Amino acid sequence: MKTPFFILILSVFAVSAHGQLVFDQPEQSFKVKAEQESIVAKYRFTNSGNEPVKIENVKTSCGCTAAGLKKTDYAPSESGEIEAKFTFGGRVGRQEKAILVSTSQAKENPIILRLVVDIEDQIHIQPEMVLWRVGEQPDPKKIEVTVADNSTVKILSVVSDNPLIKAELSEVKPGKEYEIQVTPADVSQQGGATLLIRTNYPQQNPQTRYAYARIK
Amino acid sequence: MTPVRQAVLILVLALIPAGVTAVVHPRRPPWSAETLAPGEQKLKTVLAWGSSALWVDARSRRAYEAEHVPGAILLNLEEWDSLFPAFLDQWSPERKVVVYCDSKSCELSHEVAARLERSGFSSVYVLKGGWEAWKAAK
Repeated sequence: MKTPFFILILSVFAVSAHGQLVFDQPEQSFKVKAEQESIVAKYRFTNSGNEPVKIENVKTSCGCTAAGLKKTDYAPSESGEIEAKFTFGGRVGRQEKAILVSTSQAKENPIILRLVVDIEDQIHIQPEMVLWRVGEQPDPKKIEVTVADNSTVKILSVVSDNPLIKAELSEVKPGKEYEIQVTPADVSQQGGATLLIRTNYPQQNPQTRYAYARIK
Repeated sequence: MTPVRQAVLILVLALIPAGVTAVVHPRRPPWSAETLAPGEQKLKTVLAWGSSALWVDARSRRAYEAEHVPGAILLNLEEWDSLFPAFLDQWSPERKVVVYCDSKSCELSHEVAARLERSGFSSVYVLKGGWEAWKAAK
């Protein structure tokens, strides 16, 4: 059985004899708050092979992520860095983005870097829209607003932009759970309202979030 | 054992885990290009829906303004709060929402579809192949 092991060892060395990039942390995870708006991840690498490597292309899986590097050619043992900026743009929850790095040595088989970002939303609104069908009973419908566990955000008020659709805010669990009761005056014809949910966060520029009511 | 037999043995041993991976791995590539991911629909199916399909363009405003599916509404995550009311005005519970982005490899359509579903909308689909599929068919 000596021959196959020799073949295996030979094939391993055959790979490393070509220039190849080894990344310190090919997968990076972050936990951030939504108002941070973007995050930059730095992927440090070293050419661990015996030949120069040319990075031919760096692509991302989403237009929300921009990746770049300062130079494209790396000599053996030389290190470099790929910088990926992920702009949240309204995304919340767990986000997984990929950065594909094609090199002169592996054009068809790019190295895949992963960026995992858990974007914590301070406020969760569910549902985002309440709906009545034309002609049904104008019964009130509820929208729940939940504040994240470690957050101190407060819901200050809710205002409907249509006087024919009323919105009333009540606190279910102090500082944590709120309820918006939405009541249309008339559902005999189509209509709608945008509900402006005012918060006290962030302090410098408090956010207004939105929910919607529609009669269809 | 001769070197040839040894090589065959290695090949056979390698094929066993490869075969298992091909059958049970959760992220294995599809055998056929026609396989639909959950929530995806082919262009042919969507076109058969006619006017009951509500087209949603999940790409950037720039891409939308350059060209889009006739009648499509712009709705992307970056401008959600300002675009969502216009979507609601066009939407009705009878309509099937079809979201598309650039190509089969883009994620934006899946992200927008997921957000609509989280918001309580049903009958939300993603166009397989996205804008590229639409252009290729025209």
